[in-house]
Formats: sequence, structure tokens, C-alpha cells
Amino acid sequence: MEYLYDGSFEGFLCCVHAHYHREKAEGIFPEARRQGDLLRAQGVVETDGEKAARVYAAIEEKISKSDLKRIYTAFCSSVPDKETALLRYIRLGFKEGPKIRLLHGDPVVFAVQRIEQNVVKEVHRMCGLLRFSEVKPALGSAGRAILRAPMAPDHDIVEFLAPHFCDRFKREAFIIHDERRGKALVSAAGEWYITDFRDADALAETGEELQYRKLWREYFDAVAIRERSNPACQRRFMPARYWKNITEMSR
Amino acid sequence: MDGILFEKLRILSDGAKYDVSCATSGVDRTNVGRVGNACAAGICHSWTADGRCVGLLKVLLTNRCVYDCKYCVNRRSADTRRAAFEPSELAELTMEFYRRNYIEGLFLSSAVEVSPDDTAEKIFRCLHILREEHLFAGYIHAKIIPGVSPELLTRIGMVADRLSVNVELPSEESLRLLAPQKKPNGVFGPMKRISLTLAEQKTLKGPGLMDRMGPPGANVAAGDGCLAELMRGQNPVAAPRGRYRERFAPGGQSTQMIIGASPESDRQIIKTSESLYRIFKLKRVYFSAYIPVSDAPELPARFSPPPLLREHRLYQADWLLRFYGFAADEILDEAHPFLDADMDPKIGWALRHIEQFPVEINKAPPELLLRIPGVGSVSALRIARQRRISAVKYDDLKKMGVVLKRARFFITCSGKYYGGKDPDPVYIKNLVLQASDIRESLTDGKASPQISMFDGGFPLPIAPSAAPPAARNATAAPAGITASTSGYSAAPAAIAAPPPASDTPAAFAAAPRLPEIRRS
Repeated sequence: MEYLYDGSFEGFLCCVHAHYHREKAEGIFPEARRQGDLLRAQGVVETDGEKAARVYAAIEEKISKSDLKRIYTAFCSSVPDKETALLRYIRLGFKEGPKIRLLHGDPVVFAVQRIEQNVVKEVHRMCGLLRFSEVKPALGSAGRAILRAPMAPDHDIVEFLAPHFCDRFKREAFIIHDERRGKALVSAAGEWYITDFRDADALAETGEELQYRKLWREYFDAVAIRERSNPACQRRFMPARYWKNITEMSR
Repeated sequence: MDGILFEKLRILSDGAKYDVSCATSGVDRTNVGRVGNACAAGICHSWTADGRCVGLLKVLLTNRCVYDCKYCVNRRSADTRRAAFEPSELAELTMEFYRRNYIEGLFLSSAVEVSPDDTAEKIFRCLHILREEHLFAGYIHAKIIPGVSPELLTRIGMVADRLSVNVELPSEESLRLLAPQKKPNGVFGPMKRISLTLAEQKTLKGPGLMDRMGPPGANVAAGDGCLAELMRGQNPVAAPRGRYRERFAPGGQSTQMIIGASPESDRQIIKTSESLYRIFKLKRVYFSAYIPVSDAPELPARFSPPPLLREHRLYQADWLLRFYGFAADEILDEAHPFLDADMDPKIGWALRHIEQFPVEINKAPPELLLRIPGVGSVSALRIARQRRISAVKYDDLKKMGVVLKRARFFITCSGKYYGGKDPDPVYIKNLVLQASDIRESLTDGKASPQISMFDGGFPLPIAPSAAPPAARNATAAPAGITASTSGYSAAPAAIAAPPPASDTPAAFAAAPRLPEIRRS
């Protein structure tokens, strides 16, 4: 049986529940992305908060809290087939308990570890590569200037960025906008929430903002040592797919 | 905002770019109502066209200098534009860059306009404005000018996260020759004071895992007249135990040495680093490949390529010191004063000590696991953890992050050897070099982007000859002329010459050391 779910973490946990209580799952897929398959039976799993909570608690208790975190982190990746890899991990975890983390050679653990690492690495990278701009509402000059940072990350990482930036910019109001997924982290005074966000055009850069961008580019060009020029190395650390939103690389 | 600020930023960042350190690590600070925080792992914000990371706004307060150090772009006799920041102006610029997430903080250095104390005073004023008026809680790295007074040093340390005093050159002789106004004691004085202050407030931690792994305090007496010699007789500053309190320079201190401007051997450089780590408990010793900026006869000629490969190998050796439990004497000895340009120093060590290999993955103690080429600290930890539960199989190793391309020659897994023939140094060396040859031919000679410079490649300097400076000058000057007339094709003769013949075993002498000979 292949299970289809609504794409949420709760929905995924309900599929795990169904695997144990209804029929064994051969694979779990988000409903929106899966084509019908003639050879395999497919079943849509309704998201049920109570069932999800039970699986959630079972993972925390029978495997470990850090594995629960690993599973959630890996779930936020955009790796295709992540759900099936995670199901295998959870099944192995229920068998092995907390020592599953030590089985580095196991293909099931290895796969999930790699997916998790992809997400964690991008979060760390984005902590550095995110660029904020000072913006004001485009219509009317009233209102306080806020900071906005657009990004298009590979994985769904916006909430992992919250602890770092909300602490750092406690005295600012800011928006981190995931353009690819149409959602945003909105924060002020250290508090934050995540919301759908599409109309970024309603905000325009202030005049000062453009000056500081110029200054930053000036600095960026001046610190490169010509005799050591090595653009391949630069691209390895700062992949070209992120350049669109990086002030000094998009001109 | 006027055009002058743009101009100043360009001049003063251009003068600061040869300072290597851009670390933003070592301090964990959450925000208590100020502006900003610090993250222990450090965060890189950008990478310049030369592939170096940008973590801090790295600028000079001024580049007007009374010193005339021959290797420096800002030396008094250099014909270059001069400028100076107002402390408040620079503080404001830092804040605006910081809130846009361009940087992690400020790296503030300066030329000496009047005297070391006058410069330190100005640096302090700028940092004080940043911390107290703008409530900045991000990272600050402050450069300490040799010869500064202890009071000012303490005050700067209280507002900065990391301090650094530059050693600049690895031997007293070179320092006298190239930077006559700087004295070794002017460098070691503040360095020691920083370490003692850190020890007093119980926050002196030292570099990497060195204290936990290496032979403590042993091995620091050097030879060969390098700076390590001058530190002999100084007792290592002891790292205290106790609660961590964050006050004076919580990120510790670092330093930097210029590579290739003076004739020291790699061994002298590594020994000097080791002494700095063991005696003063520095966090890092940085190396900076010398980029010719002057026509002084004591220095490599203009347009000679910076010794990037040598710098790279030295950094690899530096990692062996700090994280792999190696002592400097193990990496290089009297018979081998230079690192092998063809392969990393860990393989070099393993091949010289082949009698210790192969190592059984399932039985070897962790410190020996770390010494296997291709095994790093993460994979060693994973091996040690997994083998408590079940035996580690050969196929597992790759999944644990072991680089089998190198490691397979040096290990057995449950008794089986996977390296082909017996572990024989000549055989292994040839195979390892072959692998890098294939990679080079596939990537058009640009195997390692770290060392590629110009299209088509250039003869990489192996290591400067250990000839005395006078003899070196004689050969360097004419070579410099040919180098500049024939474009970038020739490296100065003195630098391209192979290391002096030594009593290497015949097995090693058999493999030629110059890459261009090897390729043909």
C-alpha cells in the first residue's frame, strides 16, 4: 500500500500510524506530487491531530528526543522520497531504541543522516548569506522602516532561522521571506510567527539603503586580492543559485 | 553620505586585506537587549573573488605609518594614497553593515601614525563608541600594535572579543632585516600579557585539542634560529580549571606570519607555531603567502607568484598540530626541513613511519585512528562509537566519512588488508600521486583551485632554498628581471630550486620532487 498525505508533518505522522494500524506502507508521498500507480494500491490518509500526537510521543519516548528532532529536520528537506527514508528510520528506531544514532554504517541511518545534514548545512549557510534591506511601505511615506530579507533556499528552513535572527535583531522588526514557498518569518522584539506572504512589492527600499549597498559592494571588491584570484573556490562556498538575493553578487 | 566615505573605505580596506584572520568564532553570546549576538562556531557571510571568506568588516583606522617594514603595502616609503576614519564614522558604518547581515562584526587594525600607544588609544575610542553608544554586541577583533602599554592593552581587551599581535616573520634575523622597527620582545610582551590576563580570569583555553592530545609542554625548544628559540625558557602559561566567565578577550588571541618573504624553512615555521600554541596558548597562527608589493632587494621580485601551495601545506601541518595530536618534530625533522609539495603532511608522516601500519580499525586506540591518512576527527569518532556495538566493516567506512582513496593503504578491517600489495611506501606513494595526476589531467591542470593562479598553470614553487639571505639575493635579483620580462612564466630561481639534498632514504629520492618533471 502506498499512502498519500497532505504534505504536513502531522499528515506524515498519521501515515506512520496507518503503517502500524492499517496496512504496511510501501511508500509515503505527498498527495500533490504523486501520480496514480496501476500496480500498487494507494490510500489517502486523513490528517488526524490525535493520531499524529501519539506517534510523536512514541518517537520521543521509544527512540529519543534528539531523533525526533532529526526526523523533523529531515522532513523539512526537499529531497524526493524523504518520507519513505524516514519511515524506514522510524521502524528501525522502534526496534533499536536510542542507540540507532550510533549505527553510522547502516544504510537506513546513513540516508536520513545525510538528508538531515543537507538541511542543517543550508540553515548555517543562510545565517551568513541572508541580506537584509531597509524598506518602507511603497504607498505613502508614513510608517517606520523595517528590514526585509528575500531568499530562495533549497529546503524549507525559514523556521530554523528564527532563533538565530530573532536573538540577533531583538530591537528590530524584520521579515525573512521565502520566495519559493510564499511564506515568511515575521518578527519584532524577539517574538516571531510564520505566515503566508506574497505581496513583497508593497515595500520599497529607502534611499539610504541604496547607498549602503553601494558601500558594501565597494568594500567587497576592495578586499579581494587580485594575485590570489580563485572564482571556483568562491562559487563552491557561495553557489550561484543564491546570488540573486546576495547584494554583492547581483548587480 | 558623501563620496569621501567611499574613497576612505576603498583605501583602508585595501590596506587591511593582507591580514588573514577573519574568524568570528570562539564566543557564544546571546542578546540581552543590545544589538547583536555571537555564535561560537562563527559565521561566514560572503566569499571574495579570491575565495577567502568575509566574516568581519576588515579595515584600518588609518594607513599613515611611521614604520617602514619592507613587506608592507602601507610602509612609510610606499607611494600610496593615505586616509583615516573618524572613530564615530567607522562605528556607524559597522552598525549599518551589521543590521543588513553583511558582517559578523568589526576587525580593526591600524598603521602606526604617531606611536603604538597613540594608535591603541584611537582603536579603543572607536571600539568604545561601538560598544557603549551603539550597544553593539557582535564580534570585534582588535589588532594589538607591538610595544603598546599594558593599561591600553587591558582596556582594548575589555571591549574586544579576540586580540591579535602579529609575529610577521618567523625568525629574528628576518625581522631585523625586513621590519627593523619591530622587535621580537615587542611582540611577545603583549602576547604574554594577554595570555596571563586570560589565565587570571580563568578563560584561557588554548588551541583545538592540542592540550588534551599532544605531549604537554615538551618539544618546545627548537633550533635553527627561529622565533621558537626566543621563547625557550618561558614557562607555558597554564590553562586554569573553573567556571567560564566572559570578560577580557573571550575569543582568545591569534597571530600571523608571512610565508615566502624570508628564507626560513617549513620546519622553523612549524616549530615557531607549536611554541606559540604551547607557551602562549594562542587560538590560531595564520600564514599569509607573501604577495610582492615592493622592489626591495631583500624580497622576492615583483610579479613572482605568491607561494600558495606552500601556504596550503603549512596549514595542513598546522591542523595536524592542533587537532590530530602531532608534535612539530614528528611532522618535520632535521633531515626533512620542508613539507612535500606533492602530498599532504599526514601521508608524508605515515609513509615515513610505515612500520606502524596497517592499523586494525576495530582495535586501534582513538589517537592512532586519528593518525591514519583519510580519517578525520569526525570519522574517527564515528568508528570509535560504532565498534562498541558491532564490528566496523570495510564498506561502512565510506559512509562514516573516511576517504578510502588514501585510508585503504593504511588499515585492516577485521584482519583483511584492502590496499593491494603489502604496505610499501614507494608503491603507495606512486598510487597516491597517480590519483592526483589523473585528476589534474581531467581538470586541465587546475586540480586544486586553492593553488591555481593563471590559466595554463605555472611552475609552483616547491620551497625556498635554505641558503642564507645574502646568497639568495644574488640569485633572486636577476631571476626577478627575467620573470617580469617574460610574463608570469618563470618563478624566481631561488624559489623554484628544489630543497637542498638531504639524507632521505633511497626510496624517497627515487621519486622526483618537481611536479613538472614528474608529469613528463
